[in-house]
Amino acid sequence: MSKRSLVVALMLMLLFVTGLISAVSNDTFVDIDMGNIDSLDPHWQYDSASAEIVANVYENLIQFKPGSVTEFEPLLATEVPSVENGLIRDGGKTYVFPIREGVIFHNGNDLTPEDVKYSFLRALIQERSGGPVWMLYEPLFGIGSSLSSISKELVGVEDPKELTPEQSAKVYAYLEKAIEIDGNNVIFHLPEPYPPFLSILVRDNGVSAILDKEWTIAQGDWDGEPTSIAKYHDPSKEADPLYDKMNGTGPYKLTEWINGERTVLTAFEGYWREPARIRTIIIRSVDEWSTRKLYLQRGDADCVYVDLQYLNQVENMDGVNVVKDLPRLSNTSGIMNFNIVTEGNPDVHSGKLDGKGVPSNFFSDIHVRKAFSYAMPYQIYIDEVVQGMGKQGRGPIPEPFLGYDENSPVYEFDLVKAEEEFKKAFNGELWEKGFEITLLYNTGNDQRKTAVEMLKYYIEQINPKFKVNVRGIQWATYLDKLSAGQFTLGFMGWGADYADPHNFTVPYMRSDGTFGGFKGEDYIKWARENVDPLVNEGASTADPERRLEIYKQLQNIAYENALDIYLYQPTGSYVFSDKVKGFVYDPILEPGLYFYNLYKE
Amino acid sequence: MFSYIVRRILILPIILLGVTLLIFSMIMSLSPYERVSAYVKDPAQLKGGVAQLDALIEKHGLNDPWYQQYGRWLGNAVRGDFGWSESAGAPVTQAIRERFAATFEITLFALLPVILGGVLLGIFAAVHHNDPWDHISRILSIIGWSFPTFVFGLIVLMIFYGVLGWFPPGRLDNWALSIVNSPEFTNYTGLYVLDSILNLNFPVLLNALRHLVAPVFSISILWWAFLMRITRSSMLETLQKEYIRTARSKGLKERTLIYKHAVRNALIPVVTVSGQMVIGLMGGLVVVESIFDIRGMGKFLADAAQQLDYAGVLGGAIYFGFILIIINLIVDVSYALIDPRIRLE
Repeated sequence: MSKRSLVVALMLMLLFVTGLISAVSNDTFVDIDMGNIDSLDPHWQYDSASAEIVANVYENLIQFKPGSVTEFEPLLATEVPSVENGLIRDGGKTYVFPIREGVIFHNGNDLTPEDVKYSFLRALIQERSGGPVWMLYEPLFGIGSSLSSISKELVGVEDPKELTPEQSAKVYAYLEKAIEIDGNNVIFHLPEPYPPFLSILVRDNGVSAILDKEWTIAQGDWDGEPTSIAKYHDPSKEADPLYDKMNGTGPYKLTEWINGERTVLTAFEGYWREPARIRTIIIRSVDEWSTRKLYLQRGDADCVYVDLQYLNQVENMDGVNVVKDLPRLSNTSGIMNFNIVTEGNPDVHSGKLDGKGVPSNFFSDIHVRKAFSYAMPYQIYIDEVVQGMGKQGRGPIPEPFLGYDENSPVYEFDLVKAEEEFKKAFNGELWEKGFEITLLYNTGNDQRKTAVEMLKYYIEQINPKFKVNVRGIQWATYLDKLSAGQFTLGFMGWGADYADPHNFTVPYMRSDGTFGGFKGEDYIKWARENVDPLVNEGASTADPERRLEIYKQLQNIAYENALDIYLYQPTGSYVFSDKVKGFVYDPILEPGLYFYNLYKE
Repeated sequence: MFSYIVRRILILPIILLGVTLLIFSMIMSLSPYERVSAYVKDPAQLKGGVAQLDALIEKHGLNDPWYQQYGRWLGNAVRGDFGWSESAGAPVTQAIRERFAATFEITLFALLPVILGGVLLGIFAAVHHNDPWDHISRILSIIGWSFPTFVFGLIVLMIFYGVLGWFPPGRLDNWALSIVNSPEFTNYTGLYVLDSILNLNFPVLLNALRHLVAPVFSISILWWAFLMRITRSSMLETLQKEYIRTARSKGLKERTLIYKHAVRNALIPVVTVSGQMVIGLMGGLVVVESIFDIRGMGKFLADAAQQLDYAGVLGGAIYFGFILIIINLIVDVSYALIDPRIRLE
């Protein structure tokens, strides 16, 4: 063998040998997800991939007890306020949080009440459009408030970016009144009682995460001055100083972030509790399922994201542990537009009640909505399409929230009843003439596609004059149709921002809710009268019994009026290597993980 | 030739201006609500309803007249700021720089084996016209060319990573990535193979090479087959030319005849398709990148287009225009080098 070929052979051997030491060691955890992280700024981010990083690096005043979404335990505060311990006062309008001492940030700075106050004010001032900060405005300044509405009311300027320093100081004084420091306590003053307030302040909700004031200012963020709101309000993502930097008090600190490729977190030695057992967390994003699966199979990943339809491929895999049937705080429903804009809208066909299309107010007729609700084969969908991982929805409020009652009435799949309802619709005219409509789904979402296809299949069986089409459109077009009021019927999902029924009744039912607002003029008028007062009362009544009554009533109104087709509440799953122990399900963070509890053996 | 090159390079900005204007007008034919989907990426982010959508449209100026929006983009682009790519979560220049390195590395490593292998096989098949070797290589090339990359890539991954564990996906193992991303390691080029040599870090070099084997192999199969077929048919045509017959009857050695007289003439079409191949490779390989977990140009461009990330798409178009013109220029120049009868005017 010549010298050169010897060298080549040696190199090749080395190439293989170095490969054999690639299994993940026990102090490292490799988590393989999908999708990009939107931002590392806790007050900016509003997606689950970002929330996972934020929840492990930053901390909040309180957190949920393990596995619960109703009971709290202290985190950066030393006590959870309650009426009993005297830290909730004035009938639920004052919340007092004693701040923990001896906590340090990752850069070594001490946590002070001033940091807490600064963090909330910074979030309120930044309030980026499309962001999560509305969750703080509602409890602290009343329903429907925002920086813009406050600034308009106080100084007559609608766009906070146009506030002069004097006007800014006035607005700031108003904001500041809500958050007061008293010795080692931080006190929140609410205009009205707001029972969901504590569930907004928990860990997993970045909007109430605590920043280090000194460090944040040093990064070029809000300088803490009352006069500078205009400069720091609603920055673009790239101009946000905390977009790619983190400094919290949490069990892990950020050591590396290459967006779309990988994030590395390292256990923080100075953590105020025991340091985390797993020293290094590596979070990678791999979009291709086969590749993720092989990483898991080879032991190069400790946790991978698995889409529902692939779950059976890993369930019997050696060395893999699948945790299933975890109730998720979300639901998927068919949203119906009460006033479809017919102009230039191919999905309503003729746009009239003439058998060749549907009129604008098609879904305004309660009998049409009820008929559609009866025509949905809920159980078949859950068994076949989502592999049994979920249960039929009973209204906008999912389990385990106030107002959810597993004995409340629901629409069963019943084509006879659907036929009866169709016969009553438009005084029988609809049954006589028939209709043609196109239902929508956003392409790429096969589960939603199947949902509308099932409706088509069964409705067309009821009357040969009924014609239902199904059309997939790009997400961008979907958005455009929603905004233009041209949307007919499509399935959409809602996931909890915080654990309270209020977070479901607002989007689904209130006249200005995310879905409610898309349902057209007839709905908005009706909801203003019949729904809005109750929804708002639910969030401002301190009495838990009255709250229960209200949410039961709202759930029932939604059922009686068949406002949406409440398809199902999904259950979640995690796929781990069987070396991973200590997993505690965190419903708000799902599908993310809180790594502090985990260890490997 | 020099003036030809200069002229071609001078045309570049004009072409890029035209291309971006064209793409921009296509994007602008969508409504502001469609374009705002770049910032509201899926239904789960639809939290604020119509009011929030309007606020976002206002914030990003999506309702301004098209010439204002294009002017804004162009004004910044001239100063080297190509905007923020929402799909990559980074400034466009940074996103392209990072992904270009991955794509370029694969292209570089695929190029030599593909072109050399393809051309040699093609010549071999043509010289042995109609004997069993020719048939075998023709059948193999048909299989190679018609095998979809996503199937072939997956098979390669499953065998060499899933079963054997030799060639894992990704560009580096986690331990190597930690070294490369640490401050002690200088990233001169972003090409891990080159950087690890410059940093004298041989474990990383070996690791980088190991990760290149599978994707380079998957790409090579396809292009081998393609180049082989082109070379073979071009070679066959040349071998039937009269001057070859004359040379042969003059008693020229077969070897000299083929490599000196025939190949040079047969290479022109090969150079043309090789140029196309390089352009294709540099534009990224969505499928190979997805399967082998490589963050390259292909996935970037596909994501940007899918998410209506117009800054990303325009940045990608400029990148592509650049590559297209440079590679075509190289192809033109090599024509002149291969065949002195061709003059570039």
